[in-house]
Amino acid sequence: MSDYSLNLCHLYPDVLNLYGDTGNIICLKNRMEWRGIHCEVSNLSVGDELHAGDHDFFFIGGGQDFEQEVLLKDADENKKDDILAAIDDEKVFLAICGGYQILGEYYKTWDGKQYDFLGALDLYTVGSETRMIGNYMYTCDALDGDKIVGFENHSGKTYLGEKCVPIGKVLNGSGNNGEDGTEGCHYKNVFGCYTHGPCLPKNPAFCDMLIETALRRKYGDSISLADFPELDDTFEKNAHEYMTARLSKTNADDPSR
Amino acid sequence: MKARAFIAITACKLTHWLLRVMGRGATQLPGRVANKIYPDLLGYLARDVRTIIVTGTNGKTTTSRILEETLREAGISFFENKSGANLLNGITAIFIENCSATGRPKKKTALIESDEAAFKKVGKYTDPELVLVTNVFRDQLDRYGEVTHTLNNIKIGIQNSPHAVVCLNADCSLTASLRDEIGNKVIFYGVNEPIYKHRVREESDAPYCIRCKHEYEYEYITYGHLGKYHCPNCGYSRPDPEVAVSRVFISDADHSEIEIEAAGEKFKALINLPGGYNIYNGISAVAVAYALGLDVRIAVGALSSFECGFGRMEKFMLGDAAARMILIKNPAGCNQVLNFLSNISEESIFVVCLNDNYADGRDISWIWDVDFEVLAGLQDRLSLIYLSGIRADEIAMRFKYAGIDPAKIKVQKDYGKLVDAISSQKKAVYIMPTYTAMMDLRALISKRFGYKNFWE
Ligand SMILES: [Zn+2]
Repeated sequence: MSDYSLNLCHLYPDVLNLYGDTGNIICLKNRMEWRGIHCEVSNLSVGDELHAGDHDFFFIGGGQDFEQEVLLKDADENKKDDILAAIDDEKVFLAICGGYQILGEYYKTWDGKQYDFLGALDLYTVGSETRMIGNYMYTCDALDGDKIVGFENHSGKTYLGEKCVPIGKVLNGSGNNGEDGTEGCHYKNVFGCYTHGPCLPKNPAFCDMLIETALRRKYGDSISLADFPELDDTFEKNAHEYMTARLSKTNADDPSR
Repeated sequence: MKARAFIAITACKLTHWLLRVMGRGATQLPGRVANKIYPDLLGYLARDVRTIIVTGTNGKTTTSRILEETLREAGISFFENKSGANLLNGITAIFIENCSATGRPKKKTALIESDEAAFKKVGKYTDPELVLVTNVFRDQLDRYGEVTHTLNNIKIGIQNSPHAVVCLNADCSLTASLRDEIGNKVIFYGVNEPIYKHRVREESDAPYCIRCKHEYEYEYITYGHLGKYHCPNCGYSRPDPEVAVSRVFISDADHSEIEIEAAGEKFKALINLPGGYNIYNGISAVAVAYALGLDVRIAVGALSSFECGFGRMEKFMLGDAAARMILIKNPAGCNQVLNFLSNISEESIFVVCLNDNYADGRDISWIWDVDFEVLAGLQDRLSLIYLSGIRADEIAMRFKYAGIDPAKIKVQKDYGKLVDAISSQKKAVYIMPTYTAMMDLRALISKRFGYKNFWE
């Protein structure tokens, strides 16, 4: 066992738990522990107070619209200030779908109702009547253009402001809004995207980059995952390569993609 | 209109015959052909048929099999959609099979399993006498969006079935809430005490009140989000069931022994299938018998005598291996299978075949919501896990992350080689395929081992 440890905060695990997003926690915890990095997971939900200082890494998943309304009030009252402080403090965030949208400024439904969100990221989301759905693939600038694959399923179209950049460029699928060819948002150490599937297990390089970022923030820039035991990623690579190959052969508008 | 019906019926029968001659078991095409020619055909064919519809996320097929046994015992002549053809086209084809060339029905009662989304139209056309809603869980979310959407589909289906008596699961807060949305006569059924001492870790699909979004409180949970719930904020609570499992004496890896209370009487019953979800399948079938005015004893008797449905714990021999086939399609159902499997005592081989065709659900993310981690504790009894199907790589990875020794995880995408590998080992085998994977596997197994084709 090394002396390294990261505290992982899973926000609203009982509410935002759609489409296997919890698999990201399973993935993070295993990939840390296989390397001897201690990983503590805290589940914080409605009614719990967040103390940002206790955690190094935050995860927020996606939920059903019905359930998302339940937690907006709670997020505003019990967690917003600490989330903003943690982002400012360059803590690592991974936010998927509904969790990604909630970090933005607001959500406007297709019939014009507006819900104010946390405003942690310079982006907003507009509901549409069509669902953007299917396996998809995009590049990740933070991984020198390596591909990320997953399953998107959202009717919200997200538009980024000037203060943040996308994670990368959509190669196949819709991404943020199906219009500007971008997917996700990267701001400081916050990554938000629409990638279910879940996102991390079949994109191990993305997972490791997030772990390394959190380690460096906590223990200094000289630390590198390359100094830890190497993992056998055969299963992960097979799953990743199967989907990149399949998507390279299908058109974006192919319903079977 | 009659001429058009005749053409549609003939075209359907012809397509069906052609497919049979070619040795194919397609269940959608003949109905699709007919509906293209005459879109209201089902309404025309169902006009003189008394229809019983079974819908809901989980348990449709097994419940239909118990009902089939019940109807047969009760001496009612009926037809049914047997091969999992539960969309509009498949159901239309079944009605066509039951009628003469001019559309006159041969049998006057239909037992129809309907997909939740298809139920909107199936209800409208068939004007059913009875509708059973088993439960609402997350299922193939890529198609339906969310559970409230599924619930809404069922609501519209019932609203399109104004003459039906509706049997609702009192223990499912989503299903039970339908009562306020419909004008039909409602009969609630449920389980009056907990089933399992220990359950797998699973997320509730409905933790918040459907009416006011406050968190529910539970007196007990049977599984998933089913149980005795109430909302401390608005007072919405589980209705008292009219037909109930009043006691659960035993629920083990082979069967359950229960007491059923209906119409003021108590009956001891044996359910010939393992798992708490089959207790629900049993009691929902009893509720239907009760609602139809049949002798409840006949339904109770059917619980212990009926045979396993298609891919629902079916037993068969694969060479030296004693196999059971258990269809998986969503996290709640799959977790119930694991509740059952964690009770096995003999050394076994597990097989999971994961496809992501439309009928399986395009999104396979749900495999991460299943508590496969529970299998890590069974590794002494688990000799090997074979993963197959289109998304074999992904489910193999899932098992690795569940803490299974990677040396026990074997990917074999070729079904022929898979069946070779299994059948040469003298072990118990549990095969868990998704829908289209089951179809492919069944076809190969029938060919290889001479089991009859599934559409017969
Ligand atoms: Zn309430």
